Amino acid sequence: MPPAARAFSRRDTVLFVSCIVVAFAAIQLPERVRDPFASTLRRSVLAPLVALQSNAEQSRRSWLTREQREAQRDSIALRAMALDATLADNNRLRKILGLGESLKWGFVPAEVLQGRGVGEEYTVTLSAGSRAGIVPFSPVVAPEGLVGMVKSVDPTMSIAIAWAHPDFRVSAMSVDSGAFGIVGAHLGNEPERYLLEMRGVTMRSNLKPGALIVSSGLGGTFPRGIPVGTVIAEMKTSELWARTYLLRPAVAPSDVSDVMVLLPARAKAGVQQIWKSGPYADSAVKAIAAAGDSLSRLQARKDSLAAPRDTSVRRDSVRAVTPPLVAPSPQHEAKPARTPSTTPAVPAPTTTTP
Amino acid sequence: MRPTDFFRTLIAFIILVLLHYTLRPLLGWRAAPDFLVIATLLVAIRVRPGVAALIGLCVGLVADSVDVHVFGAGALAMCAIGFTASWLKAVFFADDVLLNALFFFLGKWAFDVIFVLAGHRGDVGQVAIQLFVWSPLTAAVTALFGLVTLLILRPVLRASPS
Repeated sequence: MPPAARAFSRRDTVLFVSCIVVAFAAIQLPERVRDPFASTLRRSVLAPLVALQSNAEQSRRSWLTREQREAQRDSIALRAMALDATLADNNRLRKILGLGESLKWGFVPAEVLQGRGVGEEYTVTLSAGSRAGIVPFSPVVAPEGLVGMVKSVDPTMSIAIAWAHPDFRVSAMSVDSGAFGIVGAHLGNEPERYLLEMRGVTMRSNLKPGALIVSSGLGGTFPRGIPVGTVIAEMKTSELWARTYLLRPAVAPSDVSDVMVLLPARAKAGVQQIWKSGPYADSAVKAIAAAGDSLSRLQARKDSLAAPRDTSVRRDSVRAVTPPLVAPSPQHEAKPARTPSTTPAVPAPTTTTP
Repeated sequence: MRPTDFFRTLIAFIILVLLHYTLRPLLGWRAAPDFLVIATLLVAIRVRPGVAALIGLCVGLVADSVDVHVFGAGALAMCAIGFTASWLKAVFFADDVLLNALFFFLGKWAFDVIFVLAGHRGDVGQVAIQLFVWSPLTAAVTALFGLVTLLILRPVLRASPS
């Protein structure tokens, strides 16, 4: 080996041994020296590298949890969608309950069992039939107003035609009894097909847009005072001796899910106090909903009283401060088959604070 | 080493150090590639053994500063493998893929052996499992990534014609 190369090799060896000694010394360093030294290295040379590592680990965690987050997001979206439907259903049921409370007797609650099929777009199947007392030509109503009329009846179900059916007719009048006419389906093209026409209104009767039209009670099928629709505008027709008005129906087709069928005795007795007309129509619907709320509250109190966790002493004390529940009238012919307290889709009535 | 080769080696070294602190945490493997060992070995074969030992010592000390309980153990291991790699560069780093892979594998395994023994980590069983199960696995993964790195960085690491 040449002397220069040997010197180089010796220098390498010395350097290596020195490094080894330093490394061993680093291992044996006392904490008070080691920690500040390591800390200095971390804060200077290693700081940007540690920041890079931290970002990389965060990215990895984000990548690993993305599927979980997507699943959570989907679940929340699904729940939110279901919540809207639940709220709508709850609102609808409250109104139905309120309507039942207002009617007090002579009605049968029913669910609309199926949607509109091909060729039966304006016919609905109801979940109550002749066993519940329903007869053909019984009026079908909703909290907002008139839905239609029972056409045929089976023991456990019945078929009703909605107001959009071409055969549907109802004698109607303005709220102030200033104009009378016959309301039927407007047989135009979509989307006007889901409007109503009020025909045969005398020329001297002029209805303004927005005027409420209710059933007149003439003809005996529909009792007086059920909201049918509101005037949109007068229609141009070839009839010279009578006016025809286009009406917006009181009940939207999409809202027909739970209805009340009025029994003949109730139809005969009249329902004029149920849907207050004129400027009070909206407040009447609100009152109906409020009655549903109060019914829910009463039911909630009743449920809480009947809960087994209550002690008898507590039950008695609650009874002492709770007003008596509305006793069912002997004239009641039916009770709502579907109440919020029994329907899982409806928020528990106990959440409604009195 | 000429300045051009020096800067090329420096670039490769920096890239590997960055990969150690970015790609390795991203992978998150139990047997993760050790890019610091690859970087030290790649530099070691291009410098004198003494310089290689010094570089290994510096890299080891910086890496050890994260875990102060084994402070110095990584430096000792890096120093040893750097010096050895530089000494054996005539044997290894021929243009043979298998020899290069073996070089990385042995380098990483030797590093782990020195690091674990010098750091006094765990009992005998744990040390045995670490040295004969996880270390070979990690060394194999490091060898694989070292080969890929060599292929990718070949234009950078190629020595300029004299």
